[in-house]
Order: sequence, then C-alpha cells, then structure tokens
Amino acid sequence: MRFIVCVKEVPESIDVKIDLKTNKLQEEGISTTLNPFDQFILEEALKLKKNEDEIIAISIGTPQTKKVLMKCLALGADKAILLSDNVFIGSDSFATAYTLSKVINKIGDFDIIFCGQQTVDGNTAQVGPELAAQLKIPQVTYVESVEKFEGKKLLVKSQTDDGFKIVESQIPVLLAGIPPSSFTPSLPPLRNIIAAQDKPCIIWNFENLDGPKDKYGSVGSLIQITKVYYPPPREKGIMIVEEPITAVEKLIELLTKDKVI
Amino acid sequence: MELKFTEEQEMFRESVREYCQRKIAPVALEMEKTREISIEIKKGMAELGLLGCTASPEYGGSGLDAVSAGVIGEELARADPTGSIPVFYLVQAAWGFVLNKYGTEEAKKEIFPKVIAGEYFLGIATTESDAGSDVAGTRTMIKKEGDGYIVNGEKMYISGVREAAEGGGGHLTIAKQNPELGTRGMTMFYLPLTADGITPTYIDDLGREGISCGGFAIDNVKIPKYYILGEENKGFYIVHEGYEFARGLIAVICAAAGLKSLENGMNYIKERKCFGTAIGKFEEINFRLAEHYTRLNMLRDLAYKSLWTIDKEQQGKGSRFETSKAIAMAKMFASDWACNAINDVMQWQGAFGYSRECPDQAAWRAIRSFALAEGSKEMMKMIVARELLGKEFIAYK
Repeated sequence: MRFIVCVKEVPESIDVKIDLKTNKLQEEGISTTLNPFDQFILEEALKLKKNEDEIIAISIGTPQTKKVLMKCLALGADKAILLSDNVFIGSDSFATAYTLSKVINKIGDFDIIFCGQQTVDGNTAQVGPELAAQLKIPQVTYVESVEKFEGKKLLVKSQTDDGFKIVESQIPVLLAGIPPSSFTPSLPPLRNIIAAQDKPCIIWNFENLDGPKDKYGSVGSLIQITKVYYPPPREKGIMIVEEPITAVEKLIELLTKDKVI
Repeated sequence: MELKFTEEQEMFRESVREYCQRKIAPVALEMEKTREISIEIKKGMAELGLLGCTASPEYGGSGLDAVSAGVIGEELARADPTGSIPVFYLVQAAWGFVLNKYGTEEAKKEIFPKVIAGEYFLGIATTESDAGSDVAGTRTMIKKEGDGYIVNGEKMYISGVREAAEGGGGHLTIAKQNPELGTRGMTMFYLPLTADGITPTYIDDLGREGISCGGFAIDNVKIPKYYILGEENKGFYIVHEGYEFARGLIAVICAAAGLKSLENGMNYIKERKCFGTAIGKFEEINFRLAEHYTRLNMLRDLAYKSLWTIDKEQQGKGSRFETSKAIAMAKMFASDWACNAINDVMQWQGAFGYSRECPDQAAWRAIRSFALAEGSKEMMKMIVARELLGKEFIAYK
C-alpha cells in the first residue's frame, strides 16, 4: 500500500501580523510548525501502516518548509517531497489542490490520500475536497479515525454536527481528518529524529511537474485577494447601572432603537 | 562564521520543549515536597531518548554530541526550576559519555540499556569528605584480587545515591590503586550501589529536592574486571573528560535557568505598579534587567562554545587543553551570574519572591549548587590560569 499525506507549514502562534501594503501575512521572524490537523491525519496513516507499506509526506512551500517534512519523517513517514518554486506562490486552495494532484500523479499509484481537514492559518477546509475532485476519487471529510481497513475497503468514523457517522469506502480514497478532543500529538524521540536525517526528502520545482504554468500559483488561482485588513476594533459597550426593572426597560429601549428586537 | 544549531538540534529542541511544557513544567514545583522525580517523568524522558542520550546506538542510546546534549539540558532547565531534572539528566549524559568512551563492551551492554530505559541511575562519585574538586586527595582504595577488584573507602556529597541504591544502577567512581604514583596511580570504575558492602547515607541539600544527595561507605566491595574504565592508573585523566562534559552542560543549564527567571521577572515588572506606574519603568529595575540579560546571553554563548570544543576534540580537531580552558571559562561565573539574576527577580517580586510559591526561589537554591558541583568556581579559575601561564604556575604542585 502507498499512503500519501499532504501537510502544510503554518505559523506556530495565532498572533500573526498582516502586511497591509502587500496583503500578506508578515512571515519574517515567525516561528512555524506542522499544521496540527496534518499531524493528526499523519498519525492515523501511521496506525494503518504495515511493514511493506509506504508513507509519503508532501508539502508546498519555501525551502524552510523542509523542517515540517523532517518532522513527518521523524514521526514515521518513509519519504518526503517538497514542492518549492516561485511559480507556486500565491496559490489559492484550487491551485494548491491542482499542484498536489500533479505531484501525486507523478508519484504514481496510491491507495489513500490523507489531508488535514483544514489548516490553522487559512482555515478554508477546501484543499482536501478539491484534491479529491481533481484526482477523481471519493472522499470522506471530518474523519476522526479509521475503524477498519481490510482488503480494498475501509470504514471511517466521521464527525457530524450532532455526533458521528460511520462511512464505508473503497480505496483509492481521500480522507480529510479532524482530531478528536482526546488527541495528543506524538513527540518524535531523539533516535527517530536522527533516523529521519537518512530518509529521502526530495525537493521538486515547477519543472518536475507537467501541466501549463498558468494553472499554478496566483495565475492559476480562482480567488484573488484584493485586500487584507484587521477587523475594526470593538466599540466600547454600554453599562446600564440601574435597578433591575429600570435596567431591563432601558435595555429594551436600546435594542428596539437599534432594531435588534 | 555561522552561529546556528543544526536542523537536527532544532528538532531535538522542539520535541523536548513540547514534552517539558506538557509534562514537567506543570508539576515541577511539586518535587519540593515529593522529593523525587516521578516514575511518569522518568518513563517519559526514557521514551523520548533523553536518558543516557550520549550512549552509542548499539547500546540503545542516540550517540548525541555535547552541543546536542546541551540543547536538551537547556530545555529541561527552563521547565524545572527546582533543578532536579536537569541534574538527573546532565549527570547521566556526561558520565554516560565517559562510560561509552572508556567502558568495556560487557559493562556497556549490561548498564546502558537499563539507564536508557530509566530503570538504572548512572551517577558520578568522586567527592569525599576531605577531597572534592581536589581529586588527587582521594582516599578510597582499589586493589586487584583474583579476577576482580576490591574497593574500600567512602564517598560524600554525591547526587542520585537513593536512586541508584534503591532503584538500581551505580556511580562511576575513582580510587587510588597505586598511591605512591599520585594522580598517575588512580583507577576509574563502575560501582553498583546495590552491591554488598555499600552503606548509603543521606544529606538534606538546600535545593534540587527531586534528586537525592548523600554518600556511601564502601566496605570490601568486590567488582568484576569489566567494570574498570579505560586502563588502570589512568582514572585521573578519564575523570576530567567527564567533568568537562558535565561542566559545559551546567553552564548551559545556569544560563537557561537565569534567562527563564528573567522572563518571569519581565512578566511581573510590566504588570506590577508602584506610585501609579509599572515598576519595569524604573531604571533601578530595567537597567539590572538589561545587564542580567546581556550577561546571561554571553554565558549561554560561551557555554555552547565550550561544548562545541568537546565535540571538536572528539573529532580529533581540538586539544585537551583547549577544551579544559573553554569549559572552565564557561563554568567559572555560570552559577554566580545566574544566581544574581534570579536573586534580583525575587527582589522585584517583593514578598512573593521570598515565598515557596515563587518558582524563582527554587531556581536560586538549585543554581547556587553549581558554584560547587562538578568543580568549584575557584577551581575553574585555577584551570584557566594554568592554561594561560603554564604548569609551572600551578600553586598546588
């Protein structure tokens, strides 16, 4: 079996500043890490892995992104591929999914594609489903665990608004995972970190993929970000300091005036 | 010139820091009362590969170099203000390095797997009541008998006596085999503290409550030949390699503990108001902060450089003397500078700083020990002066 896990490098802190001139996040000096959703789904893939199976972690990013792929290797992935090229800059979820599909097609046969449900920076939750569409394979989203995997069939537990459902699927399939509240990310021990240095971590650029250049990056994106801005600061609230009956009357008056009620 | 850690070392740091934040920092101060490192923490450290991390992979270790070992020590020191876990770690890393380099195959195969699994404690026992940094004053004796050796004497002010005597393991120990040869007649060996003839005693230390301190009488203890480290009569030289590894780690740990305390202090002085303004605005406080921060970063840089000299020496690209000097320079003021910073942080926090609830008081008591442990600060000055002026200027010769 070959499992492919798509991962992303994300800011470690949510306290990220925006460059209002370029409409981009200020990335310089920001500490980054492996997207927690991606670590969860990687660990699900590792649970399914048998000796003869192969797990390939792939990511799109800068040369610095190699560090999250090295973490994937230390956690147990067998091989990593980093897509790094200026051509890929500015990709929206559609262009990202397109790029990933081209990488996966180049890798060749696969059985399960694993994606985090979303990333903690973009939060679109679109890349997984769009990738499944591009690869023309079924998908299961909000996957909390793989309950059973036998032959060419698997049962997965998928979160719903009011509980969960068990979904049966054939392989190949794409699973987009979301960690249950009980999930604690594993920490790679020192010996695995050392062993990871000897595992293959390949860097590919645009030239290694097929497909027209205008399908990649900002040119190939369906969404163009025209402006990024901070939400306006919250206005000061109104304190009503009165006896309860008077306070309620005043509150109703204010809510009525603002057409809330 | 590029001053940066390797990708691998950064990964070690990330993994260890996360572990420390999850498992050590929230419970570290409890060790002041429990007076032990919990089994859960020892097990967690073992799973992560932190115990005996300098042992070669064939014995189950990670074969870490000195700088990498320093990265781990730094993170542990940031998480545990009592200093117990850093000591538990550094002793086994430094003396594991010595056992790995000079131990016999048989000893390494017997001892390392249990140390690495957290079942055994591997310590160092050179100090005696009348001989501390002055190793040449050792009175403990070792003599050949049959296929093995017999040891008699006593050791004092030793870390981890209870851990090894009750939990299993032992200490690398030095004794005189040929007293007439002076320092050239000393032999180093592994002494299991569970052996017949060992009688432990315990000392109530000022800090580092999570790891025991004590001594033990050695009464006709038999050890096998394969417990000897390196060659007979070469112990005095071997022991200094271990000291130096440990001293470099101590310097990193002091810098980390001091800087962590300054972080605590900064959080406090930004919030605490006096005369209607944050006390961090007063020069009496913020100038001291600037000075401590600068001094501790100098210490951190020097400490890592000293560990780097060990690694260079092990690669055949450095000399014993360069290492000794660099390590002694790093350790000389490590405890003083860190303690001074922590003392000021305690002062900034007023009465709270003097309470047991304040982590900085635990850090101060722990870091104070390092002006003595593994070679006193006075001894560090003697080493640096010796390397600068030459052996003929050694006062004790």
